[in-house]
Amino acid sequence: MARILDIGCGRKKFPGSVGIDLSSAGQADVLCDWTKTLPFRDSSFDQVRLVHIIEEVDDIFRVLREVHRVAKPGARVTIMTPHYTDHASYCSPAHRWHLSSFSLWFFSDQPGEYDYYAPANFRERRVRVELLRIWRALGFQFFVNRYRWYRRFWEYYLCFVIRGKTVEWELEVIK
Amino acid sequence: MARILDVGCGPNKYPGSIGLDMNPATAADVLCHLDRGGLPFRDNSFDHLRAEHVIEHVADIMATMEEFHRVTRPGGTIFLATPHYTDYSSFRDPTHRWHLNTYSFIYFYPGGMHGRDMWYTKVRMREAKLYVSLLKLWHALGFEFLVNHSRMFRQFWEHYLSFVIRGKLIEFTFEVIK
Repeated sequence: MARILDIGCGRKKFPGSVGIDLSSAGQADVLCDWTKTLPFRDSSFDQVRLVHIIEEVDDIFRVLREVHRVAKPGARVTIMTPHYTDHASYCSPAHRWHLSSFSLWFFSDQPGEYDYYAPANFRERRVRVELLRIWRALGFQFFVNRYRWYRRFWEYYLCFVIRGKTVEWELEVIK
Repeated sequence: MARILDVGCGPNKYPGSIGLDMNPATAADVLCHLDRGGLPFRDNSFDHLRAEHVIEHVADIMATMEEFHRVTRPGGTIFLATPHYTDYSSFRDPTHRWHLNTYSFIYFYPGGMHGRDMWYTKVRMREAKLYVSLLKLWHALGFEFLVNHSRMFRQFWEHYLSFVIRGKLIEFTFEVIK
């Protein structure tokens, strides 16, 4: 059976996963401050999920290095976070970072150049942007996700008007 | 010869300067982390200090600017380049802590906010030069010229237009007052 780790699982832990969280109010199986180190052996998970949590941690790269360590080679990492143009990005005073769909571009472009900042090696398998309902109904979400080039144009010129909602990445762990 | 300090110099150090960076894989002459204590130089050591794409990363802008001010001589200049908060690059880097605009440093100006000095810091500097660049399309349509043409246009753009006609890079030059 696939071993799944749900980091910052809260009250809606991913079915069948091991949940880890700071707070005992949710469904966590492991309680600890996972933002510094994860209390697991190297290469122990097939899948890692970080849903609406990386925008709150002190050091995103530090967490991703730990995720890389505990994930098996080829494991999939799912990350979801509000787009910086969504109201949700500003709703919580715990949100330290406001991110875009290119915020993890270290893992898709120019491998090596940013090794100092992001020494963990991931491959970006998929990026998907969700827009608000009205823009989805008008077909903008389809276009934004159609080609990387369209997404780039949207990020540069349009996204303060045709605003984003959620960004979802699927990364593959390279070891 | 002018003494120049390039803070966060990266691999392309400013010619003739002393380079400072936290990353040993750069052209740095001095390795130092801006968030872990002050700059390792005496007061008034430099005629010119530059920090390109640095200030948006630091943990404490006030403390960092106070250090920049301390090591620069009176009348010396500080050059900062940083993304405007409406540019996509401001949100592209998960180590960008701050999203800034062309008024983000008025705390340091004499009579900075509504004609009154601010109390957060005693450090004072004057805005000697400021240039905002816009994205290619807006540049081509002449908006960049207008925004930089007068303070009034820039204020109108910051207040009303900048989420549509989006900014790119802000280049500040401050003159140090002591």
